Amino acid sequence: MNRFKRADSFASHSSAMASSVARGAVKAVKPIFSRDVDEAKRRVRELYRAWYREVPNTVAMYQLDITVRQGRDKVREIFNKNKHVTDPRVIDMLVIKGKMELQETIHIWKQKTHVMRYFHETENPCPNDFLSKFYHGHEP
Amino acid sequence: MLRLPAVGRALAGAAHSKGCLTASSNVRTSVRASSNLVEVFVDGKPVMVEPGTTVLQACEKVGVQIPRFCYHERLSVAGNCRMCLLEIERAPKVMCSHNYSTLDCSSCRPWKGIFGHPVAACAMPVMKGWNILTNSEKTRKAREGVMEFLLANHPLDCPICDQGGECDLQDQSMMFGSDRSRFTEGKRAVEDKNIGPLIKTIMTRCIQCTRCVRFASEIAGVEDLGTTGRGNSMQIGTYVEKMFMSELSGNVIDVCPVGALTSKPYAFTSRPWETRKTESIDVLDAVGSNIVVSTRGGEVMRILPRLNEDVNEEWISDKTRFAYDGLKRQRLTQPMVKDASGQLVPTNWEDALMRIAAMLQGVKGSEIAAIAGGMVDAESLIALKDMLNKLDSEALCTEELFPMAGAGTDLRSNYLLNTRIAGIEECDLLLLIGTNPRYEAPLFNARVRKSWLHNELQVALVGHDVDLSYSYNHLGDSTQVLKDLATGKHPYCQVLAQAKRPVVVVGSSCLQRADGAAILSAVSTIAQNARVSSGVEEGWKVLNVLHRVASQVAALDVGYKPGVEAIRKNPPKMLFLLGADAGCITRADLPKDSFIIYQGHHGDVGALMADVILPGAAYTEKNGTYVNTEGRAQQTRVAVTPPGMAREDWKIIRAVSETPHVGVTLPYDTLEEVRDRLAEVAPNLVRYDDVEEANYFKQANELSQAVNQSLLADPLVPPQLSVKDFYMTDPISRASQTMAKCVKAVTEGAEAVEEPAIC
Amino acid sequence: MYLSSALRAAASHAGRQVRSLYQSAARPGAGGIFLHRDTADNNPDTPFEFTLENMKRVEAIINNYPKGHKQAATIPVLDLAQRQHGWLPISAMNKVAEILEIPPMRVYEVATFYTMFNRQPMGKYHVQVCTTTPCMLCDSDSILQAIQNKLGIKVGETTPDKLFTLAEVECLGACVNAPMVQINDNYYEDLKPSDIEHILDELKAGRVPPPGPRSGRFSCEPEGGLTSLTEPPPGPGFGVRADL
Repeated sequence: MNRFKRADSFASHSSAMASSVARGAVKAVKPIFSRDVDEAKRRVRELYRAWYREVPNTVAMYQLDITVRQGRDKVREIFNKNKHVTDPRVIDMLVIKGKMELQETIHIWKQKTHVMRYFHETENPCPNDFLSKFYHGHEP
Repeated sequence: MLRLPAVGRALAGAAHSKGCLTASSNVRTSVRASSNLVEVFVDGKPVMVEPGTTVLQACEKVGVQIPRFCYHERLSVAGNCRMCLLEIERAPKVMCSHNYSTLDCSSCRPWKGIFGHPVAACAMPVMKGWNILTNSEKTRKAREGVMEFLLANHPLDCPICDQGGECDLQDQSMMFGSDRSRFTEGKRAVEDKNIGPLIKTIMTRCIQCTRCVRFASEIAGVEDLGTTGRGNSMQIGTYVEKMFMSELSGNVIDVCPVGALTSKPYAFTSRPWETRKTESIDVLDAVGSNIVVSTRGGEVMRILPRLNEDVNEEWISDKTRFAYDGLKRQRLTQPMVKDASGQLVPTNWEDALMRIAAMLQGVKGSEIAAIAGGMVDAESLIALKDMLNKLDSEALCTEELFPMAGAGTDLRSNYLLNTRIAGIEECDLLLLIGTNPRYEAPLFNARVRKSWLHNELQVALVGHDVDLSYSYNHLGDSTQVLKDLATGKHPYCQVLAQAKRPVVVVGSSCLQRADGAAILSAVSTIAQNARVSSGVEEGWKVLNVLHRVASQVAALDVGYKPGVEAIRKNPPKMLFLLGADAGCITRADLPKDSFIIYQGHHGDVGALMADVILPGAAYTEKNGTYVNTEGRAQQTRVAVTPPGMAREDWKIIRAVSETPHVGVTLPYDTLEEVRDRLAEVAPNLVRYDDVEEANYFKQANELSQAVNQSLLADPLVPPQLSVKDFYMTDPISRASQTMAKCVKAVTEGAEAVEEPAIC
Repeated sequence: MYLSSALRAAASHAGRQVRSLYQSAARPGAGGIFLHRDTADNNPDTPFEFTLENMKRVEAIINNYPKGHKQAATIPVLDLAQRQHGWLPISAMNKVAEILEIPPMRVYEVATFYTMFNRQPMGKYHVQVCTTTPCMLCDSDSILQAIQNKLGIKVGETTPDKLFTLAEVECLGACVNAPMVQINDNYYEDLKPSDIEHILDELKAGRVPPPGPRSGRFSCEPEGGLTSLTEPPPGPGFGVRADL
């Protein structure tokens, strides 16, 4: 049902594209897990809960120099990053990826630096105005 | 973005296809018979060619490459290497040019003898109805035989040979040679010659193709090379101990098909397959030769010419080719500011820019001025102009002077080489005034020599008597001659009046004089008179200015004032030197407290007097637009990154404009945006490889009549008289060791130059 | 068995392969090296000037050729210079180039190509002994030996009194009168060692012996009288059909 709605909204934007998109929309799309958005949302909540519970363990097991609260904030931040996604298939895919990350974290398949990569500690922000790019180096 | 308008492209395409038609001949001539083509066959494929076409050219026309060593399309035919041997066959059932069957014609009978025998394709003109076999058994056998003989005396030292990887002998012996030799005798050895600090000779490798001899005598006009001896002992050399000192000498390295003549500075430094090639433009003179910059690991290894029929054909001057080591010396790599003790100390960019910003604070717009030097790209020129204009200053000058009286730089035709370099091949009389093109623009001079040699071009010179590598009428060096020519009193005016397509070229050096306006006015009148008397069509340009520095035309196009006179009269509190190294303004010309900013790539004259130094990029390190003396916009490309903290020049100016207190941020952040701005100011600057035509000669001449300046009595003497003056003329070549060696070799002899004892 | 065959293989292999060092172009008697090196008696400042008489000859030679083709006179003018000076110093070649208005290199090319232009100091008499096959069969070696003994010099050398320079040359085209020797412009033919010694003595004494065969022949006729064409030649109409 949702697929049809999306196609309609596209069609209203661009009449030239309408026919091709409509043809694509008629094609039945196989769901990954969830039949509709509500079901997908339920899966997200489950994953979030699992992560929420896992954070204290992770901090302890990996001997991370962060508090549990910081860890949970980061989990929330990363979930919020995909807040705009509405397609249940995409949501399902993201959930699968999240579960994989979770599994790797629980089983200590990761190392400390891999976990800390969520916090971008070693990355410098790229300069984007002309003058800081100029000071920074040769190429913009 | 499509820079070139569709019309321009179409026109360029048309011109190109015309060039293709005439490609069979070496020289362009205005008259050309297009009919009575003859039909020949290459491996059975029919092709129509002009009578007199050689077998090799006919093969080239259908796209079959014939192996060759001695044949070079820009040199005369020697026919002595025999590598291009081909079998000729009679094509059946074809009428000969006398309308007989090729079997029966009595006129063609003498030619019958060659059927079935190998002939040298480079020297044999085709006859109607020949079938040229480029891959028959006999042809292949002939090539193998020739190759075996060539290799009999050629040393097998490819691993230590600098030509390795780009050697014609190597390639062609792989393609056409045999896999073994029957030669068991001793090899011949030839003594190496010392012919100067640029060219390394390993004469044992020489296969006596005589390309270098022909290049020297035909293109360079220096008959120093020749073949001495005979038979197995024949060798190429100068016989007496002598240097091959021509301003084009480096081209024999490219012309040599083997490793006999290689580059001395490049010796044992890199291999062709290791280097990255960047197509770029040379900026050491105003010709704008097309070059390929070979780089390896952020270092320029060498510079080679790139084919451009309209500019440099396939030659470049020695300065262009060998001055690249100056790019690694005397470089400014970090910003510097003068400390309290008056010493320049290295600092970072923030500091340097803040210093400028602080100094700018108390200065009014009218107290700021800028001077642009000879190797500045159009992008930084426009950026600097925009910045200073935003600061309410109009005092932007170039180092080179150009008379502003009369039409001045308002009419573009006044300051361009309007005829274009290739146009010299179509003219029949050339009048040079106050210039020595041989050293000011070697490739222009090579074009004149070519036309003098093949097209009966008459040349006359007003100015100092110099060796131009061709003969000319010397009319004298006093300005009185100019006056007489302009008024028609000089006896040479009669010759001038008979010319069908006259060209007058005035050197920019003589326009630097105090009476520059009067000279330009006289020259303009001479040109206008010559045009009227010749009755040549409207499109033909007579008046030309030959510039010496690469940035001048772009600077004038963008709207810089030529000459620093204004600055001398009205000394600024703050002076911005953009690569200005000619030393036209010194500290003595400025008030004591004036603040000088130097931006450039070499620690030369300009940097010495600066309070702040901003390190810029040299021409191999930036994408820059340069307009050559013809008005042809061309772009350099980044081959290596600027060294240390140096930045591309327009970016530096853009950064200066944004610092606080300056506060006139320029509205462009990317190269594309700068070029859009360039297109707004002068659209021709971004129409790359195109020459924007300039006209209004008549109007310019009328305006020049208003000039009431009288000619001085001083003789017209260009600054570069002999080859010694040619090598070091700009910051890059002044920093080059190779160029210093050349000067030393010219003044003290080749033996005086110490060479590292390798091989 | 194995060993011997291996040895044999190695030996035969070595026999076929000729390995030799690079060989220089400079060989004695082959016209010297094709390079100029300044020496005390051969440098650009070596005095050379055409005599007035020769200058007239040069004019005449140049006038043989069309206008604008002075270069064509290179060989005869070089020859004249050599005749005047005895050999060709670099200054003479430069002079020729100057007179003919061509680059000096073009003159050097010609002078090095032809073996009859001597670019090294020569004796007054240039003794050229032919040792090509017909002369060799007629024992030219004895002639050469006799000259060497007489003058005390080897091939390619000049006597200390600067009178004779000895050279061994290829066929001079006088095979009928072998063995023979060319001394300057004169051919001395049908020589015996005693003849050449006499000729050298005469030259030393300042006299030029008459050129030609020493066997009493007038020229190159057969030594023992005619062997063919002995009868008087037939007159006109010989062998023509009677009815014509």
